[in-house]
Amino acid sequence: MTAPPAARLLHRHVRGQWPAVRRLAAWSAVEAVPTFASGLLLSRAVDRGFLAGRPLTGLGWLAALAVLYVVGAVATGRVYPWLAATVEPLRDSLVGEVVSAALRRMTGGAPDAAGAGVSQVTEQAEAVRALLGAALRNVRQLLSAGVAALVGLTLLAPRLALAVGLSVALGVAVFGAFVGLQVRRYRAVVLRAEEIGESAAAVVHGVRDVVACAAEDRAADTVGRVVDAQARALRAYARTRLVRLPVLALGVHLPLLALLLLSPYLTAHQGFTAGDIAGAVAYLVTGLQPAVTVLVDAGGTLLLSLAVVLGRLAEICAVPAAAAPSALPAAVESFDVETERVTFAYSPRAAPVIEDLSLYVPEGTHLAVVGPSGTGKSTLANLLTGLLAPQRGRVTLGGVPLDPAHARTAITLIPQESYIFAAPLRDNLAYLCPQASKARLDDAVHAVGLGETVERLGGYDAEIPPGGGGLSQGERQLVTLARAYLSPAPILVLDEATSHLHPAAEARAERALADRGGTLIVIAHRISSAERADMILLLDGPSAVLGTHETLLRRSPLYAELVGHWHT
Amino acid sequence: MVRKPTVDAAPGGSALLRAGGRRLMRAAVRRFRVRMGVLAALTAVRVAATLTTPVMLARAIDAAQAQENLGAATTALAVTLGVAILADAGEDVLGAYCGSHLTAWLRHRMLGRVLALGPQGRRRFPTGDVLSRLTESASGPAAFPVLLLAAAAAIASTAGAVIALALIDWWLAAAFAASVPPLVLALRVFVVQATEPFARYQISQAAIATRLLDARQGIRTIQASGTADAEARRILAPLPELREAGRETWEVQGRVSRRLALLAPLTQVVVVAVAGVRLATGDVTTGQLVASASYAAMAVASASLFDTFVQLLNCQVGAGRIEEVLAAVPAVRPPARPRPVPDGPGRLRLRRVTVRAGGRAVLDGLDLDVPPGAAVAVVGASGAGKSLLVATIGRLLDPDDGHVELDGVPVTALPLPRLRHAVAYAFERPAPLGATVHDTIAYARPDATRAEVRRAARAAAADDFVRALPEGYDTPLARAPFSGGELQRLGLARAALADARIVVLDDATSSLDTATELKVTEALRRVLAGRTSLVVARRPATAARADLVAWLDAGRIRALAPHAELWPDPGYRAVFDARPAADGAAAPEPAAGA
Repeated sequence: MTAPPAARLLHRHVRGQWPAVRRLAAWSAVEAVPTFASGLLLSRAVDRGFLAGRPLTGLGWLAALAVLYVVGAVATGRVYPWLAATVEPLRDSLVGEVVSAALRRMTGGAPDAAGAGVSQVTEQAEAVRALLGAALRNVRQLLSAGVAALVGLTLLAPRLALAVGLSVALGVAVFGAFVGLQVRRYRAVVLRAEEIGESAAAVVHGVRDVVACAAEDRAADTVGRVVDAQARALRAYARTRLVRLPVLALGVHLPLLALLLLSPYLTAHQGFTAGDIAGAVAYLVTGLQPAVTVLVDAGGTLLLSLAVVLGRLAEICAVPAAAAPSALPAAVESFDVETERVTFAYSPRAAPVIEDLSLYVPEGTHLAVVGPSGTGKSTLANLLTGLLAPQRGRVTLGGVPLDPAHARTAITLIPQESYIFAAPLRDNLAYLCPQASKARLDDAVHAVGLGETVERLGGYDAEIPPGGGGLSQGERQLVTLARAYLSPAPILVLDEATSHLHPAAEARAERALADRGGTLIVIAHRISSAERADMILLLDGPSAVLGTHETLLRRSPLYAELVGHWHT
Repeated sequence: MVRKPTVDAAPGGSALLRAGGRRLMRAAVRRFRVRMGVLAALTAVRVAATLTTPVMLARAIDAAQAQENLGAATTALAVTLGVAILADAGEDVLGAYCGSHLTAWLRHRMLGRVLALGPQGRRRFPTGDVLSRLTESASGPAAFPVLLLAAAAAIASTAGAVIALALIDWWLAAAFAASVPPLVLALRVFVVQATEPFARYQISQAAIATRLLDARQGIRTIQASGTADAEARRILAPLPELREAGRETWEVQGRVSRRLALLAPLTQVVVVAVAGVRLATGDVTTGQLVASASYAAMAVASASLFDTFVQLLNCQVGAGRIEEVLAAVPAVRPPARPRPVPDGPGRLRLRRVTVRAGGRAVLDGLDLDVPPGAAVAVVGASGAGKSLLVATIGRLLDPDDGHVELDGVPVTALPLPRLRHAVAYAFERPAPLGATVHDTIAYARPDATRAEVRRAARAAAADDFVRALPEGYDTPLARAPFSGGELQRLGLARAALADARIVVLDDATSSLDTATELKVTEALRRVLAGRTSLVVARRPATAARADLVAWLDAGRIRALAPHAELWPDPGYRAVFDARPAADGAAAPEPAAGA
C-alpha cells in the first residue's frame, strides 16, 4: 500500500503553506454561507411569505438569499489567489525535491542503472498540481457546501439532521472501505499504460529489424498482450466504481425518503411546517446530493489519481540522501593511482569483468588502455574514478584508499556520451572550472581544436538549446574535451571520449590534454591512441599486459596484430 | 469546467484531422453497435428517471403536507430514484467497458499498420510520434461513447427541465430563459482569455523536463564530477516563470468561477421567487416550488455541455491522429500472386535499379550481379547509397525503378516472410527486441535452441560479454545496458543464427574497435562460408577481406573486382579517406530505416 509514504510526501510539502491554507479555509466557509442559509431562508419564505399570503415578505427572504449568493460569489473569487498560494509553492517545492531525487537516483547506483521513467517525474509532479488544484477547486467547494447543508439542516431539525448524518456517515464509510481496492486497481491501470509505452517503444523503434526478421506478427502480439492487459485493468477498475450504488443510496436517497416518510410525525410532534419540509428537501437535494455525488465520482477519481501519483513520486524520493562528502584525507601527498589485485563483476553470478588487476600509474603518466570491446575498459574507468567499488582488492590515490568525494575533485572523467546542456557555451566549457577567464577559455578551445565551432556558434555567449541543438557528435565531444582541458583535476580519464572525431582531430586533442600536465588515462577507441602514450595497458579477457609500444610489439601477438592491422 | 485548450493547434489541419477522426469514430460505433445501443438505452432511462424525480418529489412533499397517499408517493419516488441510480451506475461501467474495448481496438489496428508500413513509415511517423499516438491519442477516444451520450443526455435534460418548468407554470420557464444569455457570455469570456497563460505554463514545464532529460544523458559526467547539486539548480531555473504563469492561470479561472458562482444560483433564486409568488396565488404547490428549484438546477447544468463539447473535439483529434496512420499506404506490399522461393545457391541480380531520395536519384539505373556464395563488400563515399542498395534485396525498400532477382525470381514476387527468411540483415544499430538477450538473438528464429543461440553469439564474439551479465542469456534486455559495439555483436549473432542464403552486413561492425572487428570478422567468415554475403564497408581492411568489392559511385557500380586490384586506383583509395572531420550527425547516410 502506497498511501503512508504518499501522505508523508504531501504533508512535507503542504507544511509551509498553512497560512495560505487557513485563508483558503476561511474564504471557503464564507463561500458556503449561502448553501448553509438556503434551506432556512427558503423555509421562512414559504411559511411566512408565500403560504401566509404575503408574497413580498417571501420575496424579501429570497432577496436575502440572493444577497448571500453575491457574498458567496465574492468569496469564490477571493478563494483563487489563496488556491494559487497553496498549490504553486507546493508544486515548486515538489518539483525541486523530485528533480533532486531523480538526479540522486540516477547518480546513485551503478553508472548505467538510471531507473526507467525517472525522466517523467516532472510530468508526475505536474499531475499532483493539477489534481490537487482540481480537488481544492471543485471538490472542496462541493464538500463544504455539503457540510454547510448538514449544519443548516441541524438548525432546522436537529433530530432529523442526526439521522441524516448517520446515514451519510455510513455511506462515506462504505466508500472508504473500498478506497484501498480502488487505489490498487487504478494503480494497475497506470502501470499497464506505462508498459504499453515501453513495449511499443522497443517494437516501433526497431521496426526495421522486426520487418527484416519477418517477425511482424510476433511483435504485434507482444505489444497486443500488454494492450489487452491494460484494457482488462481498466474494466476491473470500472467494476469497483459500482460502490457508488450503496454510497448514493445511503448518503442521499435514504435520508430523503426518511424525511418524507417521517414528515407526518415531525409535523405532529416537532412543529414541522410545509416550509420546513421544503427547506429540508432543498438542503438534501441541492447541498448534500452534489457533495456525495462528487465524492464518489470526481472526488474518488481525484483522490485515487493523487494517491497513485504521489505514491510513485514517494518511491522516487525515497532514495537516501547522498552521503555528506567526507573530509579530505589529510595524507594525500601525490596523485599516483594504483589498483591492487582488483576484481569486479556486475553480479555475484556473472563472470568477472576485471580479475585480479594490479596497475600502478604514477602522477604525470600518459597511459592508454586498449583491447577488444567488452574486456572491461569502461569498467576500469569507473573503478579508477570511484564510480564503482571493486569486490576484491582496492584502488588507491596517493597511497590511501580512493574516496569517492575526493575522487571527484582529483579526477575528471570524460565519457563517450558527451554531456551538453541548455546554457551558454561558456557554461558548458567552464563546467568544471566555473571561474575560467576568457583567456583560459581561448587557450582551451584552441588547444583541442574547437575554434571553428565557437566561431560558427557566435562566441562563448551563444545559447546551447536543450539536447545540444545543431552540434554534431564530434563537436559535442570537442566541447567536453575543452572542458577536460580546463578542469583543475590533476588526473584525466577519457573513456572513448574521442570516438566521433577524425583521427587527426583526435590526435590533436589527445596531445593537448597530455601536454596540459598531470596524469592522462585514455581508454582508446582506435589503436592509434596507444602510440602516443608513455605506457599501454592491453586488456584481453582475463589477462592484462602493461608495457610501452615497443615492448608490447615484441611481447604481445594480439597487440602486434592490432597495430599492423591498423596500418594496412 | 476549466480545461487546458488542446484543440485547434492548426486550424486547417485540425479540421481535416477531426474529419478523419469522425470517420474512424463512426466505424467504431458500427463495430460496437450492440454495446453502444445498450449504453444509449441506459442513458435514456437515466435521463427519464432524473427528469421524473422532481415531479415525484413534488408529489411526495405535497402528500406529506396533505397527509394523504404519502406511502404510495414515497414509493414512487423511491422507485424513480432507484431506477436513476441503477441506470447511472450501469452507464458508468458499460461506458468504461466500451471505452476500453474501443481503445484496445484502435491500438491493435494502429500497431498492425505501423508494422505494415515498415522502416519507411518512420520517415512520416517518427518513433516518438507513433508512441504518443499509440498511448495518448488512442486513449482519448475511449471516452467517446460516454461523452456522446452525455452530450445528448445534457441536451435532453435541459430541454426536459425547461419543459417541466413550463408544465408547472409557464412563468417559471420564462424566468429561466431570461437568465440564460448572461451565462453564455460568461463562458465565452473564459474561452477567449484562458489560452495564453496555459500555453506559457506548458512551455516552462517542458523546459524543466527537457533539462532533466539532458542531465539523464550526461549522468556519468555529473556523477564523476559530483555536480548533482549544481545540476538541480540548473534544471529548476525555469521554475519562477512556471510559477508566474501558474499564478495567472488561477487568476483567469478565478474570474470565470466568480461569475459562474453567481449566475447559476441566481437563476435558481429567480425561478424560486417566481414560483413563490405563484405559490401565494395558489397556482403552484409547495412541492412544485421545490421541484422548480431542482429543474432550474438541472437546466443550468447544461453549462457542462460546453465542457463535453471540448472533450468531444479532443476525442475527434485523437481519433484523427490514429486515422492518419491507418490511412497511410505501405510502400512495400506483398505480391498479389506469390511464387514459391526457388531452390538456389543465393544468386543476386540487380537490373536498372533506381532509388530516389530527397529529390535526387541516389541509385541511378544500377546493375549488379553477385555470384552465389561470394562475399562482396559494398564500398562508396558517405551518402553514395550503400545502405539503400542493400535494403532493396530484402525489400526493406522497393526501388522506384528496376528490379532485384533472387535465384532468378524477382523479389517482389516472393511472399514477404519467405523472402526475409532467405535474406538476413545485421545493421549498424540493431534494435534490442524481445524480452531477454536470448530472445533478441533468436528474434528471426524463435524456435532456436540455447546451444544454437550460443553458437551464433560465439561467432559474433558476443558470448563472453553475454555470460558476464547477471543472468547470462536470460538477462532481461531492460536490465542490460549495452554499448554500441555490444549491440552490434548481438545483431551479428542474430544474422548468424538466421538460416539465410543471403546475409547482409550493413555497416554492422562500425562501432567495434579495431581489435574486436578483426575477431568478429574472422569468426563470421566461418559461419558465412557457403552463403552469399554483402558487407557495407567503411574500413579498407573490411573490404580487403571480401572476395569482391562493389564500388558504388554516382549511383552505379563503378567496378566489381577484388580489393587488391582496385587499391592502386587513387579514386578508390579516396573513398576511405573521405571521412568528414566530425562524422555521425554531420553527414548522415540516407539509410533505409533511419
